[in-house]
Amino acid sequence: MYRYDEFDERFVRERVAQFRHQVERRLDGSLSDDEFKPLRLKNGLYLQLHAYMLRVAIPYGTLNARQLRQLAHIATRFDKGYAHFTTRQNLQYNWPKLKDVPEILDLLADVEMHCIQTSGNCIRNVTSDQFAGVAKDEVEDPRPTGELIRQWSSLHPEFAWLPRKFKIAVTGAEHDRAAIKVHDIGLRVLRHAETGEVGYEVIVGGGLGRTPMIGKVIRDFLPKGELLAYLEAVMRVYNAEGRRDNKYKARVKILVHETGPEEFIRRVEAEYAQLNGPTINAPEDEVERIAAYFAPPPYEALPEDSAILDAARRADPALDRFVEQNGFAHKQPGYVALTVSLKPIGGVPGDMSDAQMLAFADIAERWSFDELRVTHSQNLVLPHVRQDDVPAVFAALQAAGLATANAGLVTDIIACPGLDYCALATARSIPIAQGIARTFADEARQREIGPLPIKISGCINACGHHHVGAIGILGLEKAGVENYQITVGGDATENAALGERLGPGIDAEDVPGAIEAIVDVYLKERQSGEVFIETVRRAGLEPFKAGFQAFIASDEGARTLAAEPAQ
Amino acid sequence: MADVKAAAKAKGPKLPVILIANDLLDGDVVFFGAQGWTRDPRAAKVAFDAETAAFMEAEGRAGFVANIVVDPYLVPVEIDAAGFPVASHYREAMRQKGPSIHPDMGKQADYPLGA
Amino acid sequence: MTLITRTGEKPEDYRRVDAVEDLRLDERAVLVPLAFASAALAARPAASVALSVPNDTPVEALQPYLAAAPLIAVEFPSFSDGRGLSLAKRLRRAGFAGTLRASGPLIADQFAEALACGFDEVELPETMANRQPVQQWMEAKDIVTSHYQSGYGEDRSILQKRLAARKG
Repeated sequence: MYRYDEFDERFVRERVAQFRHQVERRLDGSLSDDEFKPLRLKNGLYLQLHAYMLRVAIPYGTLNARQLRQLAHIATRFDKGYAHFTTRQNLQYNWPKLKDVPEILDLLADVEMHCIQTSGNCIRNVTSDQFAGVAKDEVEDPRPTGELIRQWSSLHPEFAWLPRKFKIAVTGAEHDRAAIKVHDIGLRVLRHAETGEVGYEVIVGGGLGRTPMIGKVIRDFLPKGELLAYLEAVMRVYNAEGRRDNKYKARVKILVHETGPEEFIRRVEAEYAQLNGPTINAPEDEVERIAAYFAPPPYEALPEDSAILDAARRADPALDRFVEQNGFAHKQPGYVALTVSLKPIGGVPGDMSDAQMLAFADIAERWSFDELRVTHSQNLVLPHVRQDDVPAVFAALQAAGLATANAGLVTDIIACPGLDYCALATARSIPIAQGIARTFADEARQREIGPLPIKISGCINACGHHHVGAIGILGLEKAGVENYQITVGGDATENAALGERLGPGIDAEDVPGAIEAIVDVYLKERQSGEVFIETVRRAGLEPFKAGFQAFIASDEGARTLAAEPAQ
Repeated sequence: MADVKAAAKAKGPKLPVILIANDLLDGDVVFFGAQGWTRDPRAAKVAFDAETAAFMEAEGRAGFVANIVVDPYLVPVEIDAAGFPVASHYREAMRQKGPSIHPDMGKQADYPLGA
Repeated sequence: MTLITRTGEKPEDYRRVDAVEDLRLDERAVLVPLAFASAALAARPAASVALSVPNDTPVEALQPYLAAAPLIAVEFPSFSDGRGLSLAKRLRRAGFAGTLRASGPLIADQFAEALACGFDEVELPETMANRQPVQQWMEAKDIVTSHYQSGYGEDRSILQKRLAARKG
């Protein structure tokens, strides 16, 4: 993985000094609260419902053991002994104090980390495929591109005061695990159909939130070496022309929508034509220097399959289930990538204790070439595990409470922090996720249902990506009570689609039952081999609406009965 | 019609109210109490009349200007059986207690009932 | 108001004129809204007419003035509106070689950004200058000493410095 050189090191240290200075100037009155707020946000510091919240960047979701240990140390010393992995591959502390933040930033800089641009109206931390460098369907590892964008976007002088936040995601694979169609810019590394040259497909104007939209392809093929100049052109058009009169219409997706994709493309290309590419783009040497850090680790030459693992799986059904569910095929023979679920039944999705972080750092260091990944579904990944080592890894994960075999299943629920923490939330998310997970806790039942991404947001801003959940749940307020809208049919992959509402909003306690009703429709309707989303696509929304409505009707009936006075 | 709305707005939130803010340095939720700002939700001063509410709002602004608190605002409450103010809206009630998923954290842990 | 350049405070050389009839009053160079540009140029030599322009002005609308105007002031309605930064970049690209001024309630933390995008100076309302005196602008400008983006500012980017270091 990437390591800082002297320039990166000094840059991050100076950024810490800058923030420390900004805090001092807020306290001595030089900066008003209105002026300080965007400055602290650009450094990942929010004021939430109960306390400040600090969001740490995990660029393209890659970490090493030393970094995770430091994150654990910060959780112990400055927080309440835990932290939360987010839907954008970042990490959040829920209880830091403003006066401690500069010191926390020093500790992060010690392990080549920072909080730069994890919030604010600027280019946010770049996200990527958690199986980068691992997946068999990959054209090229997307992380060197991610690192180049991280550097280029950091404290960009021109694009620090955009109309609204701006999120970039990169994938290098055919199967999109980075949700590039629902980002402000999505980049897909590909090979030119005729020349074989490596470049990017550029997608602009996707996004969730109040007005969800699927991004539009604005360049079928951008030569790899032209990336930064092209990004500069897109950003300049957006910075100059994006709406600033209404924050709900300020994202680039609205600009693309209101000008029309053709006109937007014309403006970007006109701007791009005026740029002097070679003076902007990264020197080829520099691109190669960065890429070299992402060279594959020193794998052993091994046979495709491991007799040790096969025997262990036959002997231990729990191990077998774990590998079956959480294993991901590795391009290197004899290796496997393992998803480590942060979704134990009844737990808080994405939360990890300091003790678990320390244990997991040891596991990654010993068995995965000192590397781990964070996924946008709030799980972790051990990217390079020898199949022979999997039984030992599984035992270590079990000991740390990290061996839940539910990756991608109905209990592997994405949930934003919701009203339990977030100042913007209109309803709670986490208790809803916990309720659903408990309802479907039975492992055999989960396996019978198969892959089913449920995504929950506690407000319209959609941090829980509910629009692209096969089942999406949106928490709102209705007449002073939390109320939940259910959608079906969303998809964050290369087949990106937005879910559609099944009917009226329901109360919190009815959500697990409603999900069961929806799942029952799927089990009844599915044809052989179909996963949930495929059945929705084939059968359409109607049977799901009918099942949902029947549930509401019966539920209301049951409540009326319960409310009848006893005779 | 517009006058009616303006008058309703000028009256502020429905009484009784308490004043909630965050401590600037710590971020903790704080309440305006009889002896100034307090972290104890039960020590919040309750305004039953508009005059007291206006006084508390002015104290909120003063605390903001003095860099003691940020985001001060009045919150409608009801008085519970034990005589303590409980926010009428679930969001503010969450701020008085702490995360519902972590009874071991926040006000509910720092200032347990019956302590 | 206070004028701040990369070396410190500087006196104002221009008189702001907001009415056409005031254009001829004295010999001091004037700073006029874009709407008065042709009236001002009819009344005075071009080298004494600076333009004040909103941050959403298209560069094409300024093209006729770029060669002769001694100064263009880009108006920042608020510190959080970054359009002026892109306009500065485009004006420099279009060949404007005069003084480029950012005019409005910017904060010291933005000084390095403004300079890197091609501004020479910031015209700060007095209320802001009282809270953030010139000294803070000088400190804030130098606190982060290098940048990753090529094509911004006068010194080389980190990417270019690395390349130079490798080539020895």
